[in-house]
Amino acid sequence: MTLVLEAAVLGVLTGGVYALMASGLTLIFGVMRIINVGHGALVVLGAYLSFAASRSLHIDPFLTLVITMPVMFLLGMVLQIVFIRPLKTDREALSVLVTYALALGIEGLLGYFFTANYTQLQAWYDTASFPIGSFRITYVYVFGFALCLAILAVMFLVLYRTTFGASIRATMLNRTAAQLIGIDVDRVSAVAFGIGMATAAAGGVVFGITTAFNPGSHYDLISRLLTIIVLGGLGSLRGAIVAALIMLVSEDITAVLISPVWANFVFFVILVGVLLIRPQGLYGVRVRDRL
Amino acid sequence: MRKRLIAAVVAALGLMAAACGGSTTPTAPAAPITIGVSVSQTGDFSGDGKALVQGYDLWAQDINAKGGLNGHKVTMKYVDDTSSAQQVVTNYQNLITVDKVALVFGPFSSLLTIPASTVVARYNYAFPEPAGGGPHVFDRGLTNVFFVQPAAVEDNLVSYTKYLLSLPAGQRPASAAYATQDDPFTQPQVDKAKSLLEAGGIKTSYYKVYPAETTDFTPIALAVANSQADAVILGTQLPDAVAFPKTFVQQHYNPKTIIETTGPDQGAVFSGKLGANTDGIMVPAGWTPDAKAYGNDKFVSEFIAKYGGTSADISADAAEAYSVGQVVDQAAVKANSIDNAKLISTLHNGSYNTIQGPMSFDATGKPVGGVGVYIEQWQSGKAIFVYPATVASAPPEYPKKSWQ
Amino acid sequence: MRLLRQANNLKVSGIVVLFAIALALPAISPDPATTNIAVFTMMYIGLATAWNIMGGYTGYISLGHAGFFGFGSYTLGLLLAHLGIKAGYTPFLFVPLAGLATAVLALAIGWFALRTRAATFVIVTIAFMFMLQLLAENLVGLTGGGGGLSFPVPPWGGDYFNTPYYYAMLALATLGLAISWRIRRSKFGLGLLAIRDDEDKALAVGVPTRAFKLTAFVVSATLVGMIGGVYGYYVTYIYPQFVVDPLIGISMVLMVFLGGLGTISGPVLGALILEPAQLWLAYNFGASRLYLVMYAAVFLGVILLLPRGIVPSLVELVERWRARTGPSASAPSKAVAP
Repeated sequence: MTLVLEAAVLGVLTGGVYALMASGLTLIFGVMRIINVGHGALVVLGAYLSFAASRSLHIDPFLTLVITMPVMFLLGMVLQIVFIRPLKTDREALSVLVTYALALGIEGLLGYFFTANYTQLQAWYDTASFPIGSFRITYVYVFGFALCLAILAVMFLVLYRTTFGASIRATMLNRTAAQLIGIDVDRVSAVAFGIGMATAAAGGVVFGITTAFNPGSHYDLISRLLTIIVLGGLGSLRGAIVAALIMLVSEDITAVLISPVWANFVFFVILVGVLLIRPQGLYGVRVRDRL
Repeated sequence: MRKRLIAAVVAALGLMAAACGGSTTPTAPAAPITIGVSVSQTGDFSGDGKALVQGYDLWAQDINAKGGLNGHKVTMKYVDDTSSAQQVVTNYQNLITVDKVALVFGPFSSLLTIPASTVVARYNYAFPEPAGGGPHVFDRGLTNVFFVQPAAVEDNLVSYTKYLLSLPAGQRPASAAYATQDDPFTQPQVDKAKSLLEAGGIKTSYYKVYPAETTDFTPIALAVANSQADAVILGTQLPDAVAFPKTFVQQHYNPKTIIETTGPDQGAVFSGKLGANTDGIMVPAGWTPDAKAYGNDKFVSEFIAKYGGTSADISADAAEAYSVGQVVDQAAVKANSIDNAKLISTLHNGSYNTIQGPMSFDATGKPVGGVGVYIEQWQSGKAIFVYPATVASAPPEYPKKSWQ
Repeated sequence: MRLLRQANNLKVSGIVVLFAIALALPAISPDPATTNIAVFTMMYIGLATAWNIMGGYTGYISLGHAGFFGFGSYTLGLLLAHLGIKAGYTPFLFVPLAGLATAVLALAIGWFALRTRAATFVIVTIAFMFMLQLLAENLVGLTGGGGGLSFPVPPWGGDYFNTPYYYAMLALATLGLAISWRIRRSKFGLGLLAIRDDEDKALAVGVPTRAFKLTAFVVSATLVGMIGGVYGYYVTYIYPQFVVDPLIGISMVLMVFLGGLGTISGPVLGALILEPAQLWLAYNFGASRLYLVMYAAVFLGVILLLPRGIVPSLVELVERWRARTGPSASAPSKAVAP
């Protein structure tokens, strides 16, 4: 029983990280109706940027976010303007291809500059832990979780308490209508993509501290992130957060109770089961227009 | 309007033919030869390709310095297999038929070695390989494969079990926890160790197999820590070899002994991520910088001269690759030829010296009669041989000290 | 009218010539390096064509077809192992059985998956693919798990080895193209296209959308499964991640998009360009690690310049050119600048 509880706690803590990464992805979908298959590669890129920054400036990996988040934000806007905006016809399907090509390009460049060896971000506290009852919790997971909560909170504040956030939400609700009432949808899209990248940078730091990664790590990441946002309901931030927690907790508990080899399987069963009952996902709105 | 469309298709076909046929090289003059290797530079196995290339390159440099392989100057040609079966099959056919390389050496991982070995066999080339030791490599009826490591993979942990069971009853671990990837390289080793230790009276308190793609090892590591077993035996590659000890440190779980199948043998790549907490971790190894094996001092000093760092930075993968070259060199001298058919029949007989110790090969290419696999342990920031006593440069540290 | 018939004749003779070239390829260029690339290229022509029957005609994007590829591969491998079939030509005869098994599986998966639409369908197919991969890994007693599954190895020499596989792939690709062509000209095909344009409207005008989608899905998966079987026999050893490989699934989709979604020649063209390019780039530039960057750059260039795929873009180009210089040259559109 202790083990199950322990697994659940761990699942919640790591789930927070996935929630952050997935929230960027689902935001991008919500605003632009595109599936950013390159999101995993951008998370890995964020991890490498933090790795390079913390190594050359000798600063704590979490501190590097001060640099990497703005950099990734700008990069996101550039990518959106150069590669996504020109897509006029059939953009939903084509954007999958474009972002996949971006992912490959990023993987290639990272391999060129950093080699394909596994790396991991280091901090003094990455093996430190404190006891809770009969088990111990690692600081780095708690820090990561706290960071994710903070960034998610800021994101919600921006979305629900600012005028710009309102235009983002309006675009998410109905792109055409938003355009009609005078919202600059192109600008909103670029900024949303930038925000998505900035969250990817933040997710990348926590991912990079807790896991060894190499340029090829994005394949695994993106398949997990995609399943999370679909389970939660495409375009729903709340859904992404809940689904990330469901995924990680169910996996960790299955790993302990049954076997790690069935951990992913159980999650996919949950996913398929939910989609059969609610094809729009947990919090999704039934969308009539197609992808 | 369809006419042009078809013309375009024909043009594309032509382009394709040009792309395939255009790079044919004229047969090279007799003296210099090229040796072809497919390595994973992108994709899942890409992390391991680099050490292999370092080992092969160093061997090529050495052999050329002493006048070449039977007088033939050697050039290495590396191509990327993107960690995919499709590409590895393509690469070896291209190396043999387009580049007309004189010899081929093996890639990384059993998974790629197996499809590659059948392709190479088709052209009657010898296939000495440093990294494909899973059971399926040897059960396909091929006679051209030579696995250049001291023992078939499943026997890798046998000397470790011997060591544990040789301890006096009072010190011997009472229980053991096992966790392994479902990889054909790691799982057979752990399973064999488990059956040997159980037969020796060591209770199994935990056993789990996890998928090779796992990225978050914490839940499994937690379960191992929770078992509070005296001995921990892990079937790992590099990422989990780092992740498990990290979690153990976090949990303040101090087993008496820990062994991991791969990872701790990779020098600085491993220790760089664990710092002082490598201390006491064991790994089965056919090679160590300190071993007094054939040509080992030279290998180590040259490696450091060429790639920098210290002897602790050298990955066993590089040493295994270097050994492949050594074996081929001796066989070529013995056969007085670099003809593949002659090399194959020569390699099946006699014994060959390598920096991993002497070895010979049975009909399927499995190493036999070798010295077996040693145990290496990290002690004060260096990985050193600790068992068997004949090669040990220090006694094993047992029980392992507490984490720092 | 005469012009039209002429164009038609040209088209038929063009196809005949192409097919003759494909048939004679091992004789024209027998070196194994070429025939090997030809095997994989033909494989992807088949895969892209098969995928297009579902993805191109109905607009339902499946990124999980690699699951069927792997399933067919494993089915053939297990059949050969359990029936004790010797290496040689006989294993090819069992390929249709692998296809049949895949059809049954596709029927079950399609029945579930096609309850969803659009992006959700995409992800459901991915989920099913990973479930198949995990089953292949975890049912160790049946599949050999992570240890992989060996196929019997034919005793053919290197110079001939690839040829039978090439013809097997060619046969399956031809079958796929014939089916694709037949569907395109049938009422069934019209129904599929109607689903792509507007599924609700199609249903309203009486297209049995569910049955149509499911049929297309099963046909597409069956072809992919058979090709997977031949692939397994060709590489002689399979392993869950090698055959249920998301990259294989994505590659076929890319080829269709590159060539032209929903066209017959598009998938063929896409495969003819991308597969040799990828094998060649990885072989020649892989060591520098920049091949992925080059591949991505080519890719991005094509999508941004020819967003609708090569075939539709070319057709459009040709039509525009014709409109200027063709029989309608006397039309007032002459003034349009080039």
